[in-house]
Amino acid sequence: MTSAPSPRFRISRHRRLAWLGSALACGLSLLGLALCWLNPSIHAPLRPGLDFTGGTQVQVERDCAPCTAITAAEIRQGLGSLNLPSAEGDRAPNLGSASVQVLDGGRSLLLRLPALEAEQSTALVDDLASKFGPLLKSGTSVNTIGPTLGSRLLRGSLISLLVSFVGISVYISFSYSGIFAALALLCLAHDVLITCGLFAWLGLLQGIEVDSLFAVSLITIAGYSVNDTVVVYDRIREQRRTLGELSLVDQVDVAVDATLTRSLYTSFTTLLPLVALIFFGGSTLFWFAVALTVGIAVGSWSSIGVAPTLLPVLSKR
Amino acid sequence: MGRQQGWFALILALTIASGALLANYGLQLGLDLRGGSQLTLQVMPAGAITRVDTEQLEAVKDVLERRINGLGVAESTLQAVGNDQLVLQLPGEQDPSQAARVLGSTALLEFRAQKPGTEEEMRGLLALKRQAESVLRAKRPPSSSDDPSAPPPPEAPPLSPEDLTKALTSLGIQVPAGSSEVDQIELLLRETNRRILGLYGPPLITGKDLTSAGRQQQATGTGWEVTLGFNREGGEKFASLTQSIAGTGRVLGIVLDGRSISEASVGEQFKVAGITGGSASITGNFSAEEARDLEVQLRGGSLPLPVKIVEVRTVGPSLGAENIRSSLVAGLSGLVLVAVFMAVVYRLPGIVAVVALSLYALFNLAIYALIPVTLTLPGIAGFILSVGIAVDANVLIFERIKEELRGGNTLIRSIDTGFSLAFSSIFDGHATGLISCAALFFLGTGLVKGFAVTLAIGLLLSLFTALTCTRTLLRLLMSYPALRRPTYFLPARQLPPAKPAAAQAGLA
Repeated sequence: MTSAPSPRFRISRHRRLAWLGSALACGLSLLGLALCWLNPSIHAPLRPGLDFTGGTQVQVERDCAPCTAITAAEIRQGLGSLNLPSAEGDRAPNLGSASVQVLDGGRSLLLRLPALEAEQSTALVDDLASKFGPLLKSGTSVNTIGPTLGSRLLRGSLISLLVSFVGISVYISFSYSGIFAALALLCLAHDVLITCGLFAWLGLLQGIEVDSLFAVSLITIAGYSVNDTVVVYDRIREQRRTLGELSLVDQVDVAVDATLTRSLYTSFTTLLPLVALIFFGGSTLFWFAVALTVGIAVGSWSSIGVAPTLLPVLSKR
Repeated sequence: MGRQQGWFALILALTIASGALLANYGLQLGLDLRGGSQLTLQVMPAGAITRVDTEQLEAVKDVLERRINGLGVAESTLQAVGNDQLVLQLPGEQDPSQAARVLGSTALLEFRAQKPGTEEEMRGLLALKRQAESVLRAKRPPSSSDDPSAPPPPEAPPLSPEDLTKALTSLGIQVPAGSSEVDQIELLLRETNRRILGLYGPPLITGKDLTSAGRQQQATGTGWEVTLGFNREGGEKFASLTQSIAGTGRVLGIVLDGRSISEASVGEQFKVAGITGGSASITGNFSAEEARDLEVQLRGGSLPLPVKIVEVRTVGPSLGAENIRSSLVAGLSGLVLVAVFMAVVYRLPGIVAVVALSLYALFNLAIYALIPVTLTLPGIAGFILSVGIAVDANVLIFERIKEELRGGNTLIRSIDTGFSLAFSSIFDGHATGLISCAALFFLGTGLVKGFAVTLAIGLLLSLFTALTCTRTLLRLLMSYPALRRPTYFLPARQLPPAKPAAAQAGLA
């Protein structure tokens, strides 16, 4: 039976180092988020994508074997002089200021525009086809998000996340205690903050935008983080019953040591398919898989190094 | 042992049922995976209604459904989302502009008679309107939505810049500085339309009085016209309306969504009885496409509340197909690696877990086919997370079994203790996961909902497979004495220098 309260690995010996690492990562993340906020071209903690800003994004693929080179300026010029049909009472937006990206050596074009009516985007694609065509019909994608929808999506996700946090804390408070619940939430915030921080830096340096899939990945990370932490908690609870005479620090050390293999194996097995997705998956899932990988790695770190080590410190007060 | 065999029979039956279910129903893929268009329509409060409720949403949905059927798009689905939104999915449709045109407008049709004593003003306004319309038509680039075979609209005298300025000032329009010619003509059209509406009396007949709508090529001229059939009451009203203006030079205005689309004069010969027969046609110089759109809208009826299209997403089928193929290959190869890892680290129970987890994946897919769950990218994310948690449950159990064995326990007792000790942590993990799912499902929006559904199904199934499938299969294997060896569970060096024979005997 569990008669060996002398763990090979004592997390409490390394706790200052663990806290320092986490604090550094959190600080860097906060710095990234703040810099993003102060950046005049972003003015939000993360660089928001189409899903949150609203607008129209048009992607077309040209049907050409060796594609003639085209520049973004050329396309932008064509857009500026384009006369779009508009409904009565509305003015068709001018597209001269649109952001244009030329990808794959001129094979595909990515346009970011103010929100267009369906008729207007059809006219735009027709215009592109006449100037830079022929276009592959199956490679065309047009997305239009109304400006109110993005904020609605964000609000809906945030509210549901908060409610699920409350539900989880109530559950943990009942089956463990209030301090356990508070620490689980702290851990969860830690994991989500670091993932957001990474994407803030990516947004600053690489222009990576966050979309609604990113919001889904944050929710996934939150779920994983809690699951990971709860398993360690369960061990601590069990040690309290069987090894009640030990100090809390020792109980935590025993629990972390006993669950360490499991924590590492579980993270490893979850990360395997995700890493495969990063390297071999489709382009739409790339940043989603990156967010999940980082979040899950950080999540298992915090369930080993942060939540259990803080427990004795907070319980004393 | 009887109980184990009962469980085993149940698992076998479920496996066969799942296989059959998947073979017969297949999986529904979301638009992000297979290509198509998705339109989100927001129902706007109007008039006395300040908040849209479910009843009104249903009424709007009915009308839109009739219009969609009129369009003849295969496999389309229209779903209410929240209190005031509708989501229309058009699988395989690459050009949602027609659907957007037809669905987006209210299509409130009104017949109005011109007020007496306004003939002179009306004549001037109509001339100006015709001129402006033809200039605008000539300026607009031809788009693919126009019928290429349609002949050019009738020529009208061109509108010179001086005439345009004069017309604008005569109507008292302030032209914003720097506006283009097209902008100015549009301003002009808007103002003439507003004034024409002012010259009409109240609506006498509306779209509600219609029983049918059709379209045909105009007998004279080149455009299309939309034909209407009235019900009895509508026919009578139409007769008396046409009678009242016949031969007076005043016009019958046909107004669609607050825009005068056709102005017709009624000949002297209808002075006595009006136009009878219960039918009429709108000759608004429509293109074939415009006539079809209007026909579909009139057949479906007008919307009780206006809608606004807030989102249009189109995914090309090749983008979708490429994504699903590469992601599927990547995900599967990742899972194969997980299986290899489990078998190497946990040996015999690892192999059992791989079998149990394969069954787990099969059951998941079968439930997706049964409910049915439409698989989208967030849904797949939910599935990945639930696989992670399902693997975790097995890892937790096996680590406990190993611990018990290292502590010197017998094999069968270690297995039993392992399962029962791991249960509380597995249960807590799943319970917190399910709490999140409930919150995300009931409060979240579309994407998040898809995630919550697959995760919840995965969590419930994982509780079943980890605690039942793995356990039953393991117990069943342990009934063969040849397999009852601790070294099938962990390396011999980790076993305690055991009391002889105790480890092998089991406790059966």
